[in-house]
Amino acid sequence: MTTSINRTFEINEPIEKVWDSLSNPHEIVSCVPGAALTEQVDADNYKGTVTLKFGPVKASYDGLVTFLERNAATKTMSLKGVGTDTKGKGGADMLMSGVLTDKAGSTEVNVTMNVEVTGMLAQFGSRLINDVSNQVFDQFIDNFSNKLAGKDVNNTMSAGSMVGSMVKGLFK
Amino acid sequence: MGHSMKRKEDARFIQGKGNYVDDIKLPGMLYMDIVRSPYAYAKIKKINTEAALKIPGVVAVVTGRDLEQYNLHWMPTLMSDTQMVLPTDTVMYQAQEVAAVIATSRYAARDGKEAVIVEYEPMKPLIDPYKSLNDDAPILRLDKPGKTDNHIWHWQAGSREETEAVFSNADVVVKEQMHIPRIHVASIETCGCVADYDKVDNHLTMYMTTQAPHAIRTVIALVAGHVGLTEEKIRVISPDIGGGFGGKVPVYPGYVIAIAVSFLVGKPVKWIEDRSENLQADSFARDYHITAEMAATKEGKILATRFKILADHGYTDAAANPSKFPIGMFSVCTGSYDYPTSFVEADAVYTNKPPGGVAYRCSFRVTEAVHAIERITDRLAFEIGKDPAKLRIENFIQKDQFPYKSPLGWEYDSGDYVAGLEKAMNAIDYDGLRAEQVEKRKKGELMGIGISTFTEIVGAGPSKDFDILGIKMFDSAEIRVHPTGKAIARFGTKSQGQGHETTYAQIIAEELGIPAEHIQVEEGDTDTAPYGLGTYASRSTPTAGAAAVMAARKLRDKARKIAAYLLEVSEEDLEWEPGKFSVKGAPEKSKTIQELVFAAYTNHPQGMEAGFEATHYYDPPNLTFPSGAYICVVDIDSETFEIKVRRFVAIDDCGHIINPMIVQGQVHGGLTQGIAPAMYEELIYDEAGNILNGTLMDYLVPTAVESPKWETGHVITPSPHHPIGAKGVGESPTVGAPPAIANAIVDALSVYGVTHMDIPITPYKIWKKLKDTGKI
Repeated sequence: MTTSINRTFEINEPIEKVWDSLSNPHEIVSCVPGAALTEQVDADNYKGTVTLKFGPVKASYDGLVTFLERNAATKTMSLKGVGTDTKGKGGADMLMSGVLTDKAGSTEVNVTMNVEVTGMLAQFGSRLINDVSNQVFDQFIDNFSNKLAGKDVNNTMSAGSMVGSMVKGLFK
Repeated sequence: MGHSMKRKEDARFIQGKGNYVDDIKLPGMLYMDIVRSPYAYAKIKKINTEAALKIPGVVAVVTGRDLEQYNLHWMPTLMSDTQMVLPTDTVMYQAQEVAAVIATSRYAARDGKEAVIVEYEPMKPLIDPYKSLNDDAPILRLDKPGKTDNHIWHWQAGSREETEAVFSNADVVVKEQMHIPRIHVASIETCGCVADYDKVDNHLTMYMTTQAPHAIRTVIALVAGHVGLTEEKIRVISPDIGGGFGGKVPVYPGYVIAIAVSFLVGKPVKWIEDRSENLQADSFARDYHITAEMAATKEGKILATRFKILADHGYTDAAANPSKFPIGMFSVCTGSYDYPTSFVEADAVYTNKPPGGVAYRCSFRVTEAVHAIERITDRLAFEIGKDPAKLRIENFIQKDQFPYKSPLGWEYDSGDYVAGLEKAMNAIDYDGLRAEQVEKRKKGELMGIGISTFTEIVGAGPSKDFDILGIKMFDSAEIRVHPTGKAIARFGTKSQGQGHETTYAQIIAEELGIPAEHIQVEEGDTDTAPYGLGTYASRSTPTAGAAAVMAARKLRDKARKIAAYLLEVSEEDLEWEPGKFSVKGAPEKSKTIQELVFAAYTNHPQGMEAGFEATHYYDPPNLTFPSGAYICVVDIDSETFEIKVRRFVAIDDCGHIINPMIVQGQVHGGLTQGIAPAMYEELIYDEAGNILNGTLMDYLVPTAVESPKWETGHVITPSPHHPIGAKGVGESPTVGAPPAIANAIVDALSVYGVTHMDIPITPYKIWKKLKDTGKI
C-alpha cells in the first residue's frame, strides 16, 4: 500500500546552510527516526537500515539509498530508497523529493514523500500507516530544524510514543 | 418430525465437551507452523533455515525442494487445476505457504517460523482480473507448458442469438455492472489437522477439519498412492467441526505437508492455523464481476435476461464445484420468474490472489446468481416506475406450473412464490411502509424497502450430472438396531453445527418408531461410516436424510415380515403406525418395533437373515428448489449515512420441516451471514497484492450488536421427489438476504437517482457515491 506525504515548513536559517544539510546523506539520514547509514557505495549510493515500529509490529529494513538528483542551482533534490525486511517479511520503497525557496533570509522547505509498503507491515499496519508516517515525518522535521539550529537530535523511534501520540491525537 | 426437539449435540457443546481437532493430543506429537510469503508475486532466491534449526525444539524445516524429491510439491485441485503444496521457486500470492517448521512444541514452531529468513525477488503482481486478460499481461502460470494467457475457462448456457433477438426488440432493457466481493467464511474454528502415520502398520490416521472425510480419503490415496499409502491404509476422522460453510471442503497445502512430514518422521504432526492465516490464505468465496441485463415490455413483463461474468479465481482454480459445473449452479440465475429466454457466459482468470473460491454457505455460486437477478429485477422496477413487489408478483412462476422447466434447463420441483411474498408483505405491512416512505421523503429522510424473492437449487446431486473427481454425488445412511431396540446410525455426511445428530435421529424415529433419543448418530470416521460426499450445498437432508428414510423403510419391511411370522398372519393383513404393526381389524394383536427387533436376534423366521441392519445409498432423482420471500426495511441517516436495518422478515419454503427450532436457528445464522457481505465484509487487496484487512480487527464479521431482530416464517410446498418432502434450508438465508438489503438501501437512495451500489454498502461508500455524483 502506498502513502504520500507533502509538507511545507520554514526554517529560520539561510538557504545555503539548509541546502548543505538536505543534500548531505549523512546529515539527512541522521534526522530520519529509526534510520542509519551503514556504508557508502559511491557518491550517489548508500547502504543503510531503517527500523520502524507500528504498535506491536516491528520491521527492520536493509536498503539502498540512491540520490537521483542534487541540483545546487535550483535547490532541488530527490532520492530513492529500496528496502527489504531483514527477516524476509516484506519490503518498503520510498521516493522523496525536496525543494528549497529563499524567504528573505529564512528558508521554505517543501518535501514530498511516497512510501510503498509490502508484506506484513502493510497487512497489519494499514490503518495505522498514514498516522504513523505523519508522526515520523513530524519528528523528521523537528530533527532537521534542531540539527540546523545546533540542538540535539532524537533519532530513535519509540513504539510507545508513536502509538501514544496517535491515541492522544484521536481525542484532540 | 415437525417437533422442536432440543439438539442432542448441544449438551457437549455448551459444556465445553466438544472434541475438535485442536483437542486431539497424541503421544510424541510434533507441531507445525508455516512460513508465508509477504509478497503477492516473487521469486524465491534463498531460504535460510540455519537460525531456525538452532532454536531448541525445532526438528526440521521443510521446503518445496524437500517435497519435490517425493513429487509432493504440487497437488491437484478439485477443479482439475494444480496447486503448489510448497513452492520451489515462485510464490503466487501474499500469505502463500513457503516453508514448514516442525518442532516439539507449538511455541518452538512459531519461534522457528520467525527465524526462517527467505530472500525474495519481488515481481509486479496481477491483481485486477480485467487487467490479467490484457494482451500485455504477464503470464502467471508459467508452470503450465504452452500456456499463453491467464484465462482458465469459458462456460456458457442458453442461446446467445435468441437472447440477443429478444433484447434488440424489447421495449425496455436495463443493465448494471456488479461486483460480488471476495469474502471469507471466517468460521470460528480455523482449519487444522493431526496427521498420524504409523510406520509399522503403514497406516495413516488423519484427524482433520473437513466437511467431506470420505472424499478426502480418496484424494489422499490418489495423491499419495505412489508412496505406498493406499486407500485401505488411510483413515480420515473429522471430529466436531466449529463451522465449515464450504471453507472446509478443499484440501489445503497445510494438510498435505503435515501428512508428508508424519510419513517421513513417523510421528504425529499437528497443524492448526491461526486466525489471520485462515483469513488470508484459505479459500475465499464469491469474487464475481457480473454484467446483468434484463429485457422487458414497458408494462413490466420480463422477456429475457443476460449475464456476463468474470470470475477471479486467484492463482489456481481451487473452487469446490461438481466437475461438470465450473460456474456451479449459477444458471439458476433466471430466478423465480416465468420467461423463456436467457443467456449466461463466464470466463475465469488467474490473478496473484489466494486460490478458491468455495461455495460459502451456498449451493455453488447460487448467492452470486440470486444477487444478480434480484438486483436487476429491482432495476427494472425503478426504470418503469413500478412497485417492485407488484412487478415480482406479475412475473412469478405460478404454483400450478411446477414442475417448471427453467430457461437454462433446470426442473424446479415445487413452490408457491405468490403465497410466500404475500405472507412476507402482510407480516411487515408493506403498504403501510410504502405510505410511510412517501411521508418520510417529504421530510428529506432516507428510508428504503427491499425485496428478495429467490429460488435456490440444492441437494447435489443426481448422478447423471453430478460428481466430484468422478465420484457421484449420492449420499448414504447405515442403520443398526441393537437387540434391545436402540439404534446407531452412520452417515456419509458431516455436521459442522447443523444439528445432524438430532435431525437424522428424528427422521429415523418417524420412519421406524424408535424414539429419537435412542438413536445415536455418528459421522466423520471413514473406517465406520458408509461412503458419502459430505456436507455442503444444503445437501445433507436432500441426500443423506433421504438415505436414512430409505434405509429405515428397508428395516420396516423386514419388521413387517417378522411381525407376520410372530402374529401368524400374512404381511398384507398388517397395519403400520409409528412404533408397531397390528393386525387389521384386530388392533389388540400387535407387535412393537422393539419386540420385532428383539425377535430379529432371538427368534427370526427360518430362511431370513438374522440381525436388524440396513444401508442405503441415495441417488436423488432431481435437485430440490427451496425458495424464500425476504423483505427488509432500512433507515439511513441523511448526514452520516449510517444504515440501520429496522425490520427484516424472512419467509422460507424449505418443504417439510423436520425440526422447526433447528430450521429457525439455521435461518437466524444464515441471515446474519447475509448482512455480512451486504454491509460489512470484503477482502480488500491493494495494487501490490497486500491484503489490507487480514485480521478480524479489520475484516468486519457481524456480531449480535449488528444483527437486527429476525422475523421468520414459512410457506410449505413439499418436494415431490424427496421421500419426506424436505428440501434443505441451511443456505437459503445467506443467499437471499444480501439482495434484500442492497435493494432496500438502493431504494432509499433512489431519491438521488442511485440505481445500483456494490456490496458491501457502507456509510463511506454512500457518501462517496453521492459526493462523486454531485448529489451532496
